[in-house]
Amino acid sequence: MDLLEYQAKELFHKMGIPILPSQRIDRPKDLKGLQIPYPIVLKSQVYIGGRSRVGGVRFVENTIDAIAAAQTIFNLPIQGEFPTAILAEAKYNAEQEFYLAVTLNRSLRRPVLLGSQRGGVNVEAEIEHMQQVVVDREFSPFYARRLALKMGLQGNLMLSISQVMEKMYRLFFEKDLDLIEINPLAVNANNEVMALDGKVTVNDDALNRHADLVAFVTKVSNPYAQPSDSMMLVEMDGNIGIVCNGASLAMAAMDLVARAGGRPASVLNVGSETCYDWHPSALGDRLDRGLELISQNKQVKVILINLVNVIVPCDEIVKVIAAYLQHKARNSRNVSEIRGNARAARSVRIPHLFVRLAGEDCLLDRDALPATQVTWLDSLDDAIVQAVILAKAASKSS
Amino acid sequence: MNFSTHSKVMVQGITEPLGSVYTPLMQAYGTNVVVGVSPGSGGQVVQGIPVFDMVEQALATVGTIDVTVIFVHPYLALDAALEAIDAGIRQIILITEGMPPLDMVRLARKAEATETLLIGPNSPGIIVPGQILLGLHPPTFYRPGSVGLISRSGTLTYEIALELTRAGLGQSIGIGLGGDAIVGSSFPQWLQILDEDEATEAIVLVGEIGGETEEAAAHYIAEVIDKPVIAYIAGRTAPRGRRIGHAGAIIASQVIEIGMEIGTAESKIDAFRRAQVPVAESPSQIPALVKQALGLATCKISS
Repeated sequence: MDLLEYQAKELFHKMGIPILPSQRIDRPKDLKGLQIPYPIVLKSQVYIGGRSRVGGVRFVENTIDAIAAAQTIFNLPIQGEFPTAILAEAKYNAEQEFYLAVTLNRSLRRPVLLGSQRGGVNVEAEIEHMQQVVVDREFSPFYARRLALKMGLQGNLMLSISQVMEKMYRLFFEKDLDLIEINPLAVNANNEVMALDGKVTVNDDALNRHADLVAFVTKVSNPYAQPSDSMMLVEMDGNIGIVCNGASLAMAAMDLVARAGGRPASVLNVGSETCYDWHPSALGDRLDRGLELISQNKQVKVILINLVNVIVPCDEIVKVIAAYLQHKARNSRNVSEIRGNARAARSVRIPHLFVRLAGEDCLLDRDALPATQVTWLDSLDDAIVQAVILAKAASKSS
Repeated sequence: MNFSTHSKVMVQGITEPLGSVYTPLMQAYGTNVVVGVSPGSGGQVVQGIPVFDMVEQALATVGTIDVTVIFVHPYLALDAALEAIDAGIRQIILITEGMPPLDMVRLARKAEATETLLIGPNSPGIIVPGQILLGLHPPTFYRPGSVGLISRSGTLTYEIALELTRAGLGQSIGIGLGGDAIVGSSFPQWLQILDEDEATEAIVLVGEIGGETEEAAAHYIAEVIDKPVIAYIAGRTAPRGRRIGHAGAIIASQVIEIGMEIGTAESKIDAFRRAQVPVAESPSQIPALVKQALGLATCKISS
């Protein structure tokens, strides 16, 4: 989960990483009570990067201009995302802009320190200047000095940069971060350093052991935050719903649908078998909620269900599917009664289900559910082919 | 690697939700679970298995342990594994998902220093068909045989095991490395183990998007591995940057990874093709590719 810049800077400040005087602005008129002297910079608080290139960062000299600029920023979506706040910050005269970051290298299974003297907006273009130090054993400040020296720094600037890096590492470690990044870290004519921007990504799995970070999430609605109960729904622009128990199983089904010429609409992973508090009724519960969730997407014409499990008996899965169909049928009847015509009933048509259960040789009572609504298949390949054919036919007829 | 019917097995978190579901299933498969550990439940007997508060107490009673399977809460998994290593246990299987990555960094350092084989977290564990079940694999999907199955997944691994079994291809072992971003052992490590394993004649590697362990595996196969390897990669069409369940299956788009096109399905498939490893287009293609690689007839059963 990403933090907003002002939240990242709160963490920086507590850790003693130098930041400029700043103030959060929730609405343009807040600028009338501004405590920071002009000139200031106003920065859109969005999760997406690259805001300065599209007008999300503006320098202003007085209150009138500041209010006008704030109105503009509040109304400016950055790649579709509107800011929830603006950060008003003092202006800083930077001589140089550095890049510093700490992240995890997955294959080395170690944290890495990253740094470059060529920071700022062009850091990606100048990636060859990026220096790296792997923290292979217990962290100690010498790792930070090693990076600063590799960056080509010396004397007091080498020391002050490595001190910032040391504090960044402490935050990274104490708060279970996936990434902490300062870009740019500005250096002025007196070789003083200042974190002008900051990016912090908190690890989703570790979030619950940091009450202060949980508060950041609940204060602001983050459109990118994943639901905590890990029913992961991915929406796309096709018309086939995919429900599987397991991440890889769901991805494999998506790939097979695409390979057969179909287009997924929603992909849902109802699996949770390695969850600490998993119990045998979890699959049925999650399937129940999952079917409800996936059929909220009106683009879904057919739903492909592939469940691989030997713990939950097949007839329990059948019961969940039957209950879902009954519920849907009742809803569509209600709608048609209210509207009093048959067309309304058709417009809430229930998606056809293609179900494949791989498990113990389950003696399914296949007639328990009407064949007009559910098709049972023994192989995943067959289920995919049939789902794609029906989805194509449905999109032509509608 | 040493997993057989004779292995003495400990279960940490035996009274926890996952532990209480899977310990009886492991026992039913013939796994020799000799002792359990659950802090606070010392003195209980579960399924005929004595339970202790600490690993050292358990070992004082049952002697040495060959492998421990850990089902505890993800925030307690580091402690459980460190306790096992401290007691001298050198094969650890972490089942629970959601362990903080920096806990894994500490554990991986400790495992490397002590030469401990670490599988998981977020893993279905290991099955040696006909001999031992250490985790969640559905035994009925497997048959004893000579295909080594290594995977980053859980249920997709079972799906592929079932395809192999139905095609008459039994398995020498099934291993789930785990779906998290930082896991205890890698594809190259297991390729090396299975290359030396006498029971294994061919290897099926089931990868997915995210990370670069498949790329590393492809290079390793080209250089070192003599046995035939078949690969499958899940997530060719998965949208970038979205999590479908595995923390490990995300293609990162952070600034620091720009310039290194790793983690995508294309990059992994290209790496395998360059290493002349056949890549299956679907799980159902895998058995035919294995048979081809082993020089077996791939007759189609007429229906």
